[in-house]
Amino acid sequence: MNALRLFAVFFRVSVLNEAAYRVNFFVQVFQTLLELGTSLAGLAVIYSYTQSLGGWRPNEMLALVGIFFLVGGIIGLIIQPGMSALIDAVRDGTLDFTLTKPEDAQLLASIQKAAVWSLIDLLMGLGVLVAALVRMRTGLSAGQVVAFAAMLLAGSVIVYSFWLILASLSFWFVRVENLLEIFRSMYEAGRWPISIYPGWLRFGLTFLVPVAFATTVPAEALTGRLGPGTLFLALAGAVGLFLLARLVWTLGLRRYSGASA
Amino acid sequence: MNTLYELRDLGKLYAQQLRTTFATMVQYRASLIIWTISAVLEPLVYLVVWTTVSNGSGGSVGSYTAGGFAAYYIVLMLVNQATYTWIMYEYEYRVRQGSLSFSLLRPVHPIHADIADNLSSKLVTLPLLLGAALVLGLLFRPSAVLQPWAIAAFLPALVLAFLLRFLVEWTLALAAFWTTRVSAFNQVYFVLMLFLSGQLAPLALFPGWLQTVAFVLPFRWMVGFPVELALGRLGPLQAVEGLGMQAAWLGLSLLLVRFVWKRGVRVYSAVGA
Amino acid sequence: MPAPAIHLEHLSKTYLVPEREAGAGAALRSLFHRRMQAVNAVADLSFDLAPGEIVGFLGPNGAGKTTSLKMLAGLLHPSGGECRVLGHVPWAREREFLRQITLVMGQRNQLVWDIPAADSFELNRAIYRLAPADYRRTLDELTGLLELGPLLRKPVRNLSLGERMKCEIAAALLHRPQVVFLDEPTIGLDVTMQRRIRAFLEEYNRRSGATILLTSHYMADVEALCKRVVVIHHGRLLFDGNLSDLLQKFSATKTIVVQLEDCVADLHQFGEVVDCEDGRFTLRIPKADTAHVTERLLTSLPVIDLLVEDPPIDEVIDRVFNLAPDVDGSSPEEHG
Repeated sequence: MNALRLFAVFFRVSVLNEAAYRVNFFVQVFQTLLELGTSLAGLAVIYSYTQSLGGWRPNEMLALVGIFFLVGGIIGLIIQPGMSALIDAVRDGTLDFTLTKPEDAQLLASIQKAAVWSLIDLLMGLGVLVAALVRMRTGLSAGQVVAFAAMLLAGSVIVYSFWLILASLSFWFVRVENLLEIFRSMYEAGRWPISIYPGWLRFGLTFLVPVAFATTVPAEALTGRLGPGTLFLALAGAVGLFLLARLVWTLGLRRYSGASA
Repeated sequence: MNTLYELRDLGKLYAQQLRTTFATMVQYRASLIIWTISAVLEPLVYLVVWTTVSNGSGGSVGSYTAGGFAAYYIVLMLVNQATYTWIMYEYEYRVRQGSLSFSLLRPVHPIHADIADNLSSKLVTLPLLLGAALVLGLLFRPSAVLQPWAIAAFLPALVLAFLLRFLVEWTLALAAFWTTRVSAFNQVYFVLMLFLSGQLAPLALFPGWLQTVAFVLPFRWMVGFPVELALGRLGPLQAVEGLGMQAAWLGLSLLLVRFVWKRGVRVYSAVGA
Repeated sequence: MPAPAIHLEHLSKTYLVPEREAGAGAALRSLFHRRMQAVNAVADLSFDLAPGEIVGFLGPNGAGKTTSLKMLAGLLHPSGGECRVLGHVPWAREREFLRQITLVMGQRNQLVWDIPAADSFELNRAIYRLAPADYRRTLDELTGLLELGPLLRKPVRNLSLGERMKCEIAAALLHRPQVVFLDEPTIGLDVTMQRRIRAFLEEYNRRSGATILLTSHYMADVEALCKRVVVIHHGRLLFDGNLSDLLQKFSATKTIVVQLEDCVADLHQFGEVVDCEDGRFTLRIPKADTAHVTERLLTSLPVIDLLVEDPPIDEVIDRVFNLAPDVDGSSPEEHG
């Protein structure tokens, strides 16, 4: 597909870009390992006092941690850099260049930058996830695997759409970068299953800042907790939010190019 | 030089910085709200996690009930707010931009401007966090044994904690003189803080050997100690011990700051601003 | 007669700008009732460009040049009027249209900052879906014309401003567009580089037959490149024709440079004294009076040297702009 082809080209350029910085690969690995170690040590402290956290057993939590890093890696790899760059481009007018290219501007703007080092987070997360699954020893049914993949995809689409809506606000407001920070901070809450949070916080993490769909929901799919309601909500949410993001983007572009409403 | 004169100049500097910071923060209203969210969220998450553990373990973990955890994390949020700094990021930026040269040219030691900026920002954000603390208090029903003498001792402990943490983190910020990998440094520090200052869990819940380690290191004295004191979880002897440790570490950090700063300026000037 | 490459008819763009006076009272009032003022960035612009023409779009800052250019490139929706570029409506942003145009902006880069320009070129190759053979050929040609050889392997941030501009231009031309929009392409460049770029644009136009529309407030750009000049001021078309006609029409004066001993003498009776330095007077006089004033100067003053010349082109344009009435009542723009 054309989008994938373009993405590959942009990704290659991003790799070259980051290589130009000569960021030490080992330092990056060290940092991710440290983060992972911290997570696991924290879990060890918690689980020294209990066998189950809100119904989640140690290996299930481990899977959640893996997903947290995995999705964090996806966000850091291709969602955050593009959206951040988009806000800058709107502000300094370099979006004009994107708009004179014969490709869909939303596509170009979304894939224009990739932070290659986030791949480390992604792979580490995957590693932890696999380790957790091995330890759980309860076999995974094909249905669970499919549900997990679907929920992971839906979660990524939801997060992408959410970020795009926020980034598109820069067509109307200045200094929108701070808004993107909201997701970063609230994503920290995604380390833990959102079922343990009080109702109001659960609501916020599901419907206001969709962290729940990024981490907990895929983890639920993997650990056999996924209810049909949640499954449906995630899928509908992904489609709905994606369409909404497209709408906001289109409206934003019209505003940027001075089209009458 | 007349010391009184110096002090008055210092006072004026702090007042001026307060005005500047206030004006800047008013501009960045939106980021203040967002910042408040993250400042509240972290202790809130741990509060909920430990409450969940507590509820699943027969109502308490160690000497902490759900109410105890609520009190702990609400006070922790406020103490953390009072003592935290962002100075490492500042210095990384300043060294990269070369704007540090300006600070070096001033007759006053740059640390004063930084302290002033830190305090002024907190004055602005304090009402927001007090509001948040109030809301959390209503939502989670904290419980603590308040003792007048402990509350009285809390204030000096808090001041010492602030100074200690500021000096340590300011010294850490100077790493920017020597390396561009400041984020790796900072991360190690944050991890140590997370575990050993009482943020991940009240230190009383750690195994004995870890508590001893935490006693010797400075991190507890930056955050956890004032919190434990305020909540009436320490006896008078422990309080005195704690204040003593704070003072000792403060003295040590003063020496460290002087040492590192001198060296750092030499390195910075050698490279050429 | 071939269809025009670019066709504008009564094109206009009006912005609503919030009007605000200074002071706390006005700030408070603006919270409740925002008064908007209509600013005509572009008003009633009409002209045609034949394929292969190079046209200079001249005007002071804020005249509406960039706004017009953006409308032609499809980046802005006009408030009124019609426009066709290569038969397409620009702001419909059809793929076929976008494949045939290109935009170069003087102050802004599309090249990725930290990597060699060659890699940014690859990006454009992928976006425009250029066949490898065509791409190679075009790149080689541009490299030769712009002398890009050693520059392509260096990260863009290590290039000088002029070198960067050359690479930007190359990147913009890789897909062999039929219409080239250049917005202040030589701004900030040194004189030598400006000349090189102008020479390149001329050669490129000759070889490819591309239509080039270039905005500038450097007279030298327009002088060197464009036989045809469109002068725009306060959003309105002031002049559309040959540069030489422009000079003819609007320069009703000549400049006389008289060298005397010092600046003491008062020469106001002879004409408008523009300035004096070390005895070197610059006088501006009506063209018709040239012979008469020259004679009087030579006979009544101890003249060391005397020179009669056409006024500098910048001055002509300045006078053109100064002479133009404020047609839409908006605040006068900065001149020069």
